[in-house]
Amino acid sequence: MSSGPSLIRSVKEIPPIDYYTSGHRTCAGCGAALIYRLVTKAAGPNTILIGPTGCMYVANSHQFLTSPYAVPWYHTQLGAGGAAGIGIAAALRALMVKGKRKPEDINIIVFGGDGGFADIGFSGLSMALTYDYPRLLYLLYDNESYANTGIQASSTTPWGATTTFTPSGKVKRIGNERYKKNMALLAAAHPKIKYVATATIYPPLDLMNKVIKALNSGGPSFIHVLTPCPKGWFYAPHETYELARLAVETGMWVLWEYSEGKFKLNYKPRPRKHVKEYLRRQGRFAHLTDEEIDMIDKMVEEEWKYWLESDKLGKIILPW
Amino acid sequence: MSAVRPVPPITIEKPVAKVWTGARAIAEAVKLADVDVIAAYPIRPYTGIMNAIAAMIADGEFQAEIIVADSEHSQFEVVKHAAATGARVFVGSSGVGLMYAYEAMLVTGLGSVPVVGVVGTRALDDPGNFGMEWTDAFTTRYFGWLISWPRDVQEALDMVLVAYRVAEDHRVLQPHFVALDGAALTHVAMPVYPPTKKQVTEFLPPYRPPYRIDPMDGPVTKAQHIAPSLIGPEQRKRIDVAMLKAKEVIIEAWKDYARYVGREYPPFIETKWMDDAEIALLSMGAYMKDIELVVSKLREKGLKIGTVRLRYLRPFPAEELVKVLSGVKAVGVIEFGFSFGSPYRTGPLYHEVATALYEADERPKLLDFLFLGGREPKPEHFIKAAEMVNELAKGKTFEKKAYWLTLRGEDI
Amino acid sequence: MVRLVKVKPHIERFPEYEELDWIVSHAIGVDQTSDAMRFSQVLAQAAVIRGYESYYYMRYDDSPERNYLPMIYYVVIGNPKINVLLREEIEPVGHLFNVIAVFSSNYLIQRTAQRALLFDGAKTNATLVVNTSLSPDAVISLVKKYSLAQDWNGKVVTISSSKIDKSIAFPMIGATLRGYEKIDLDAVLRALDILGLEKKKDSVRKGYEQAVVKEVNIRAEETEKFKTMKHEIEIPEFDGKYWNPEVYYAYQKAAATAENYVQRIAAMPRWEVLAPGLIEFGPKPGDRNIGFTTGEWRFQRPVINYKKCIDCKLCHLYCPDGAIDFNPIKVDYRFCTGCGVCVTVCPTKAIEMMQEIQAMEGLIDEEVPVKRFEEREYGY
Repeated sequence: MSSGPSLIRSVKEIPPIDYYTSGHRTCAGCGAALIYRLVTKAAGPNTILIGPTGCMYVANSHQFLTSPYAVPWYHTQLGAGGAAGIGIAAALRALMVKGKRKPEDINIIVFGGDGGFADIGFSGLSMALTYDYPRLLYLLYDNESYANTGIQASSTTPWGATTTFTPSGKVKRIGNERYKKNMALLAAAHPKIKYVATATIYPPLDLMNKVIKALNSGGPSFIHVLTPCPKGWFYAPHETYELARLAVETGMWVLWEYSEGKFKLNYKPRPRKHVKEYLRRQGRFAHLTDEEIDMIDKMVEEEWKYWLESDKLGKIILPW
Repeated sequence: MSAVRPVPPITIEKPVAKVWTGARAIAEAVKLADVDVIAAYPIRPYTGIMNAIAAMIADGEFQAEIIVADSEHSQFEVVKHAAATGARVFVGSSGVGLMYAYEAMLVTGLGSVPVVGVVGTRALDDPGNFGMEWTDAFTTRYFGWLISWPRDVQEALDMVLVAYRVAEDHRVLQPHFVALDGAALTHVAMPVYPPTKKQVTEFLPPYRPPYRIDPMDGPVTKAQHIAPSLIGPEQRKRIDVAMLKAKEVIIEAWKDYARYVGREYPPFIETKWMDDAEIALLSMGAYMKDIELVVSKLREKGLKIGTVRLRYLRPFPAEELVKVLSGVKAVGVIEFGFSFGSPYRTGPLYHEVATALYEADERPKLLDFLFLGGREPKPEHFIKAAEMVNELAKGKTFEKKAYWLTLRGEDI
Repeated sequence: MVRLVKVKPHIERFPEYEELDWIVSHAIGVDQTSDAMRFSQVLAQAAVIRGYESYYYMRYDDSPERNYLPMIYYVVIGNPKINVLLREEIEPVGHLFNVIAVFSSNYLIQRTAQRALLFDGAKTNATLVVNTSLSPDAVISLVKKYSLAQDWNGKVVTISSSKIDKSIAFPMIGATLRGYEKIDLDAVLRALDILGLEKKKDSVRKGYEQAVVKEVNIRAEETEKFKTMKHEIEIPEFDGKYWNPEVYYAYQKAAATAENYVQRIAAMPRWEVLAPGLIEFGPKPGDRNIGFTTGEWRFQRPVINYKKCIDCKLCHLYCPDGAIDFNPIKVDYRFCTGCGVCVTVCPTKAIEMMQEIQAMEGLIDEEVPVKRFEEREYGY
């Protein structure tokens, strides 16, 4: 591809219109709501949104006859995100091929949470990534817990986080003792997948441009977006942006993309900040000792060797 | 609202019978209906339908997207979303597969998405069992799906076509499945007269829901979370009324089907020998054939017995059933489903029939005959059932309501 | 064209509920959830010690365990028994509440959950307990202006709780006892023993002692809200047709202009106009969701200093609520929830947060509702 899709080069160039508009019931400072906004802005008006159950379903609407979505939006069951996207993509293709609908480029974006994509809907997501429907983006907004139901651990909850199902207690002090599942690597394991990326809300245009690339990649795509969650991570609402920035700068969240079989790091923290700058600002890690935080930092340091190696090779090496 | 069409002069072409299994015949109906999206996942006995459809698509007999899903849940969700987007869809399952799709079926019904599918009824696990039971289909009674039950392969094909017409009517807009008795219909080949493409095109208008999930229809928000103080019973009422209206739409549709295709069916209940019947056997589906054979023989011996076949379980034709059974002294319900621990340890069809008859001025006495575990009943079991119903009519007291005639051991 | 019809919302009274005593507490979601829960738990336990049947519960329907969402807890005290099923949500109509406990003074000037006014559902002799450094007179004048549209012959109790205890529930409990007679201090202290909260006895005592009490006698006609409130709403006339988006937009407008809870409920449609398939209609591109404004949650607001603003658009980009217009940069206060993310992204420090009560009335309340994470606890 010599001429790719046109990307956004500066904040002043972003589309001024929101398709996920004001007037929703998400938390003040909600990272997921912000991501919803940025993604739909990047996708534009010819877009269909699918919302599997989760915060971004229950919190978003709830007041009947009012809706924050200026483009079509349909709720789907928690485990059905993968199937929902495929169903709509198949319908549009069939109707267009058979002359029952005007041919047109329509984006389909399924906004699944970590519960919806990494746990209950994992199988359906994987099925979807084996198809060839274009302009079909599976976007995982990962706030690292079932935040909607009151912060229960999911398989993307990081080690050491306290949640209501894995509370830090007097005997079991660590909280969650499972390690965070790397969903983007799992997505990249689908042969011939066109586009896989990780993102968060920092740096400013990274997420929006990745959405544009994903939608124009010619096949189903997957973006794993780290989503700061004031309610679930225990920080004050105004710190949402700061936490995303620190996740990237401490190397705890690795920004990369995998496009047409080529791996590339999008951000190399130099020098990498100690993970305590990120972890100590969140109440969910408050019970961890300095030694434990250091241990996490060492783990991150170790993994980064492989990330850098992958970047050099342009191919993915498992970082553990 | 679907407009009433002017009646054209119809010339019925001389039909040619094809010997087809139920699976093959249903596939033909799907092709004739020009379905756009199909989602498949294998489980016996319904799988043959999808095999046949997939072969047709592979050979270019018709155009559709066929999705090979990762589970029944995904399968039903795929078609739900496709139908909400404006595509005509087809889906199906059997037994525990249907149970796996339960949640997806539920939201299809409550979201008023007119999906059409087939359930090849099958005994539920555990243990695994290829035999036929109705419990899989019966458990979905609550979800806002229309449910019809054909007697043979011909009717199965016809019912699928009519299902599209009824489900997609704007007065209804609810999903619809046709329950085929597993193996007995899915896997037995019988002579079938498929309608022509032209007949189907005239009978079945293109699918066009009022609002699609498509940017062309504007910012449509579908199925958002609600606060029940603001809205709640109002949304449920619409489905309740859709089921009510479905009855008039079903009557219209079968009338039109006869007009365009030339085959007539009574819409809700098919009766035989009921004009002077004092007792009756009531059931649904393929085994009606044996039941009717048995009853015809018993009539030759002078027994005033008739048969009642329900063609629809949802909407349930309660008023029609009361009319048919008024004046009848005793009725035997022949069924293949269980609901353990239910009133009088009877089956789900019995519950439906008993509820309907409670409103009758003169209620017939009822007995339930349960054929469970997938073991097939034979004509002698129906003879036994008819004899017991006859004794009931004559005043004999039975100590229980439900009998397991194919059971070895004491039926306590 | 949608024909509109004027409707005077009908008030449904609940005599069975009015016979009970109610203590309703209004708090800021997540930050104050555990405070409202503790407050309710201790009072209910104390009432039981005094021989009354007592329940407490969260208004569940609003699902308010989200940052800054208005949340409501109820304590119900029988006379002496509770002989009626308490629903998860009790519509704030009729004469229910004996005590209205307000954990953050912004509820004096903002509407509470479901667009209700603070005094919707209050008994005329209700006690208003406010966690604030403002004086009772200041509280009374705010209430007369923003949230009272009925007679009120009760008491105002103010307490500046966080000066006594970071867990503001306990000074609030002490203050509440000054305006509610069925529960006494001794019963509360015994309740704290039962609940393993012995350490909080001092906070309750101090709250009881330091609370400032003032009697109030106000007639409805003296309040600004009563004078300005429209008692009719306009909803689309039912003409037997279904599924019209314009009908939906008209209902949205009715919901947006509802002035209290009763009007909000009255602005809901009958089932016949619903589009089949749970269909609703979102705003047209460029519009916002006017039927559900979130500015009422806000206890602080961003104020842009345009002299410092370099129009970089970062605050627009990073607003989770989409409440900052792109061009020109401007906050839409109907929707801004006051999270403060814009302040952290502004490269020139052109945005500052200001208390809502200061922006609206020039008052400064030293009771700051936001907590640091180490003070937060799961309250749901």
